Amino acid sequence: MRRVAVTGIGVISPLGCSAVELFVNATAGRSAICRIDEPWCERLVSPLAACVNFNGDEHFEAPKLRMLDRVSQFAIVAARQAIDDARFDMANADRQRVGVFLGTGMGGSQTTDDGYKTLYADQSNRIKPFTILMGMTNAPAAWIGIEYGVTGPNLTYSTACSSSAVSIGEAWMRVRNGELDAAIAGGAEAPLSFGALKAWEALHTLASEDPTDASTSCKPFSKNRSGMVLGEGAAIVVLEDWERATKRSATIHGELIGYAVVTDASHITRPTVVGQAAAMRAALQAAACAPASIDTINAHGTGTQANDTVETAAIKQVFGADAYRIPISATKAIHGHLLGASGALEFVLSLLAMQHKVLLPTMHLELASEDCDLDYVPNCARHEVKINTVMSNSFAFGGTNAVLIARSAQ
Amino acid sequence: MTTLARLSKILVKNYKIDPTRLTLDGPLEELGIDSLGMAELLFFIEDEFKVQLPFDPVALPTLGDAVRYIDGLLAAQHVIEPSTVAGVVPPASPHRPA
Repeated sequence: MRRVAVTGIGVISPLGCSAVELFVNATAGRSAICRIDEPWCERLVSPLAACVNFNGDEHFEAPKLRMLDRVSQFAIVAARQAIDDARFDMANADRQRVGVFLGTGMGGSQTTDDGYKTLYADQSNRIKPFTILMGMTNAPAAWIGIEYGVTGPNLTYSTACSSSAVSIGEAWMRVRNGELDAAIAGGAEAPLSFGALKAWEALHTLASEDPTDASTSCKPFSKNRSGMVLGEGAAIVVLEDWERATKRSATIHGELIGYAVVTDASHITRPTVVGQAAAMRAALQAAACAPASIDTINAHGTGTQANDTVETAAIKQVFGADAYRIPISATKAIHGHLLGASGALEFVLSLLAMQHKVLLPTMHLELASEDCDLDYVPNCARHEVKINTVMSNSFAFGGTNAVLIARSAQ
Repeated sequence: MTTLARLSKILVKNYKIDPTRLTLDGPLEELGIDSLGMAELLFFIEDEFKVQLPFDPVALPTLGDAVRYIDGLLAAQHVIEPSTVAGVVPPASPHRPA
């Protein structure tokens, strides 16, 4: 089996539109969550979101932009960043041995929402001609493939909140087994339409607004946590055969050494300790790692009652006494839950944390829940911490639990 | 306002095309509007000119072709006189793009 290097990183996130900006803000614990200001906000119980400061006009010619839902815009720009960062010479690559692997939970949800508004709210038959091609779930991946002439597999994974951990893991398997030389892998999500927010609200999983500071409303592992806050964005990495990468003297951000996906097969939303623990164990096995060798975990840590309790119990089950020693970061507290892009964004944060020897803080954690008694790196980053191996957890509605493990390139 | 001026306004507003690039014999594809883009442009044309297009796709390679086609529709579907370059009636059964 080949080793797999991460040679490029691209980020469009609520914490910034570059890897540097994302990492600086995540380290400082600056929250991107805020009250959103739209005419329909008064119809939301808790009008919170983590938005990206992004203007498509700056990145695309107008005729092309007209065909791109916001989710595709994020994906393409993040992919450009990742490929530039990797200094990947696509012109001289065997492009049939390069693939695009993208995760998204809701695809072009703004476009779909607009279409429904036209049909049902406006009672008009004037559905826009590009509604299908903008709304289809595989549009972001397809556009990346078109932009770079990548003719290998172009695949979209939709496993709700673990979509992009799955996409990165599935890409890793193909580079690892020699089927591909490289892969552009990650996730994109743009779920901040009125319809999508209202539907999430109806499920009673969203956080209520903190009465003193809206930006602190998402509180993973906290006693007073009330749910998650939706975010938008994209995170993309370039995965490359290690030998190919070192031969061309590429900068290597880390080595992806393990991935596993294990399904609960029990309940459509309720997570299970058994399923999450099995996914972590299987990823450790794939990485040929002992549990004790994990230096830090980027938790799924949504801030919902169910997830944080179950995830803590699953970590204890897998790591035993070591669970109390391994620092755990839940960065959704400040970048929100990017659904299908979350796994990729948190994998990128894990790599950056490892590179910069920083344990990222879990913000808004004043008092942990009784059943959440591990070290969550509360409220303040820790610096100069040697990190060799990181685990990134992504769990999902539908029960698809995905875990990625990376090792330092040093 | 002439048909050309009204169509140009759509192209400048929605596709951010430099008005100096808009010539009657210039291919629309060179302005970034290919056969797929044409599907959307025809949608805007229906709204702007209050005309109904046939269900089948229409091939209009140049701006001049589009202007003449719209004028034909206006003449056929409205009592008003088309405003235009050469009021040619559109083909009875429009051909599909290649």
